[in-house]
Amino acid sequence: MDLQRKANLYRKELFEKFVEVKQGHPGSAFSMLEIVTTLYHGGYVDFEDKVLISKGHATVALYPILRDLNIIPQEDWNNWGKGKPTCLRVFGNISIPGIDMTSGSLGHGIGVGAGMAIADPNGHVHVVISEGELYEGSTWEALLFVAHRQIKNMTIFIDINNLIILGKTDDCLMLNSIREKLSGFPFDIFSVDGHNTNEIMNALDETAYQPKIILCHTVKGKGFSLMENKPEWHYMQAITEEEIEQCRKEINDVTA
Amino acid sequence: MLQRDAFIEEVKKRLETDKDIYFLSADFGAAALDILRERYPDNFIHCGISEQAMIDIATGLALQGKKVFCYAMAPFISLRAIEQIKCGPSMMNLPIAILSVGIGIGYADAGPTHYITEDFACMRSILNLNIYTLADASSAKRLANKLLDKPELCYVRFDRHEQPELPVTNFITDNLYRLMGDTVTKNKILVIGSGKMSQIIADVYKEKSDKVIGVDLIRAKPFPDTLKILLDECGGVVVVDEQTPAGSLGAAVLEAMAEKNSLSKKVKVLTLPEEYLFENGGREYLLKKHGLSKENILKTLNDNF
Repeated sequence: MDLQRKANLYRKELFEKFVEVKQGHPGSAFSMLEIVTTLYHGGYVDFEDKVLISKGHATVALYPILRDLNIIPQEDWNNWGKGKPTCLRVFGNISIPGIDMTSGSLGHGIGVGAGMAIADPNGHVHVVISEGELYEGSTWEALLFVAHRQIKNMTIFIDINNLIILGKTDDCLMLNSIREKLSGFPFDIFSVDGHNTNEIMNALDETAYQPKIILCHTVKGKGFSLMENKPEWHYMQAITEEEIEQCRKEINDVTA
Repeated sequence: MLQRDAFIEEVKKRLETDKDIYFLSADFGAAALDILRERYPDNFIHCGISEQAMIDIATGLALQGKKVFCYAMAPFISLRAIEQIKCGPSMMNLPIAILSVGIGIGYADAGPTHYITEDFACMRSILNLNIYTLADASSAKRLANKLLDKPELCYVRFDRHEQPELPVTNFITDNLYRLMGDTVTKNKILVIGSGKMSQIIADVYKEKSDKVIGVDLIRAKPFPDTLKILLDECGGVVVVDEQTPAGSLGAAVLEAMAEKNSLSKKVKVLTLPEEYLFENGGREYLLKKHGLSKENILKTLNDNF
């Protein structure tokens, strides 16, 4: 399967859904689309495994994937945004089929993932956090825990798109260098272009001798010049017909 | 015996046969815990001084079907981790027992950072969460076994110090409440408290058994239905709580009475004042100074009923 193309097809579908629903967090969902597409369609998620979207506002990225896997009903996907009954929400929660954790408040995913990984040593827990969650103290509490206990049946993806709601992380409250900050922990750290599915697969395939963290360098709003690197597109904005057509043209160009 | 030791002792016994139990601590100890963690190292998890992460880790364990106990000093496991409690076990309705030691001004010599005089109000606002407050070691033992038999999301409030067994005359099953006194009539005043306050109420009851029915309210949330009936049948109510006023046990009692249209009778609520207590002098001194004493409860009864 061409994972790159698959991710862009999801990007195209999600764009139309954001237009329909008129709310949500397109910038954050589009920045992590290749990560979750690679996980699910690259064969990295077995039945026992868990995928936790700690950056809960971007959980929508999972919905079309879970629909294709016949976990989320097609009808719920179709109904979302049309004023008809649906299980889907802007933020993920465990009432939605296939969603393993209720999230939306930041800084919970690594701790919850650690507990899951301890409880089921035969399963693997994938946790996707945003770089913004590195501002939350509970994230560092949980990182200390994972490092100390050397919980190897979990993989932490950090989606680094350099933006939070009010602007660049370096301008708001500097996070960089994230790698240097994490390098003091006993983790195996990999850096990838978070929109390159081959690089993500290579990092996932690498043997790790310590818990694995994959730093995914991404573009917020990836795929649409209207949204790319624009902090305001953290949230769905009012969008004109011309802008919609321009976005469609751009995504059609890469999915044709 | 300390309440916490009585509780943990039961968890330890159950671990002999049930390896799905996990006991998490945010660097808070107990004599019984020392034995538990030595004997069952795979089932004891030290989370560091990280109450927020501890609740998240517990959430992950519970999502995988484990029976989880989280244990720490009261002010920190409650207010510091309340958002984790809301978004994790409460929102996902997971059966985690949150064990909170040192209710009220139990750490009297430590000062207000270590007092927890608002946890009842805060935790009562958390959905799906039951609240228990323990007055003696036998209550702790009974509750531990109830939670081991049938885990539920709950917040369990332990006193820091060893407390004598209450002179209970009537035990209401399922860890709801215990009575000191016999039949509730219009001539009797219900004096309601929990934890350390139940000990003071026991002293009041010993002096005024003709007028008073003492209530050791163990499970204040959900409020016991049968106690609502007693509140309706009695002649008056005094609530005593080692908390600051807003949202204290008095609020829970008044809500219960409002539900039954029982508010035509007099109700007095005694609490700590709306201030941080920096003055020292020990717990007994501070309780007495602020009216949470046998003498002031007796005065309240004499002045009002």
